[in-house]
Amino acid sequence: MKATRAALLAASLVLVSGAPAKAGETASAPTALALGAKAPMATTKMKTANGKEVSIADVKGAKGTLVVFTCNACPWAEKWESRIVELGNDAGKKGIGMIAINSNDPNVNADDSYAVMQTRAKERGMKFAYAYDATSGIAKAFGATRTPEAFLFDASGKLVYHGTIDDNADDAAAVKDAYLANAVNAVAGGKAVPVAETKALGCGIKFRKSSAS
Amino acid sequence: MQDGPAAGSLHRLPSYHPAVPTARFLPRLALVAFLAFTLGACARKESAIAQAPDSLRAEDLVFTSVTPDSLALVVAAAGGKVTLVNVWASWCEPCRQEFPELVRLARTYEDEGLKVVFVSADFTEDLPNARKFLAAQGVDWPTWYKKGSDQAFIDALSPRWTGALPGTFIYDAQGKLRDSWEGKATYAKMENSVRPVLSLPPVTQVETDTTSKESRS
Repeated sequence: MKATRAALLAASLVLVSGAPAKAGETASAPTALALGAKAPMATTKMKTANGKEVSIADVKGAKGTLVVFTCNACPWAEKWESRIVELGNDAGKKGIGMIAINSNDPNVNADDSYAVMQTRAKERGMKFAYAYDATSGIAKAFGATRTPEAFLFDASGKLVYHGTIDDNADDAAAVKDAYLANAVNAVAGGKAVPVAETKALGCGIKFRKSSAS
Repeated sequence: MQDGPAAGSLHRLPSYHPAVPTARFLPRLALVAFLAFTLGACARKESAIAQAPDSLRAEDLVFTSVTPDSLALVVAAAGGKVTLVNVWASWCEPCRQEFPELVRLARTYEDEGLKVVFVSADFTEDLPNARKFLAAQGVDWPTWYKKGSDQAFIDALSPRWTGALPGTFIYDAQGKLRDSWEGKATYAKMENSVRPVLSLPPVTQVETDTTSKESRS
């Protein structure tokens, strides 16, 4: 028992101390857009839920731009959806342009189709563009991997926040740190964001097969 | 649904620890019998039904919460020469698709020292579904569901993981991360990732269209 306990302790120390990122480990995810970078493919037009053709540059606000990769079919996106809508509608009032982007291949889940986006945008009262990334190319260019995943750019177009919505998808009432809302408020006030990079569990983006664009 | 060890539970090990090995050894005999059957070429499906899953009831599964802080203990307590951690959810289609292959991997390499640790990321209301899925898949060894901070959980497994599901992580006996990837994998990929860590030669060509580069050091 003693030996087992010692082994457990030793192994736990290795893990908890973050030792995993050693020589043997491999990068498994595409590299996401770095802080300070500009939005890629900012002039690429996408069809929005209300039938317009809109690019990221088109929604740019005086104070900043918020890009959120989300979708209709992911339970995490659904859990966060009302918070995302509230945040997006609110950001608009603060001079930060918001665009939500669905990059999922609807052939994987039919609920991620453009038609469902139209219904969803209406039902949830989205006052911002909910755009259909028909090639998944925008998500790829951003290095986004999951839904929902947010990228916030400041007035000069530099990425100042990348990550999740807040620290509790499951329970809005139990949120301790509303990362994205705090970042939006900071950018709207011309201040530095309190936490620039966060992570959360999410559904992997269902990228279209590379040639099917 | 009982709760697992809480954060910072190192000193509470004695009360928590016995639950793991007890449950862990239970399936062993069944597995040996199961493997004997599966060695026959086409008998796999029938024997699988005849052996484990038939009597496996969702409510009997050992399915416990794991926090970011107790994750390392869970991996260590699995006691594998190689421990594969797979983070999945009952609603996650790619997770469900690769799941049978992970179960097959666990059974095939059990005797070589592979332990497969499933961690469900299901929301509380979906845990009964997760339990049903585990039973249907014949997972007759203890598995876990995530509790607590996502960010800490992600970083405890690998700081380089973005949090997209499914996520798979290969640790050696020292608890060192040897390989990891996001998204579903083929059986060949899983096998070629764990075999070198088990000191076994590769058997199949690694596919090139996955998002992960293999470690071979």
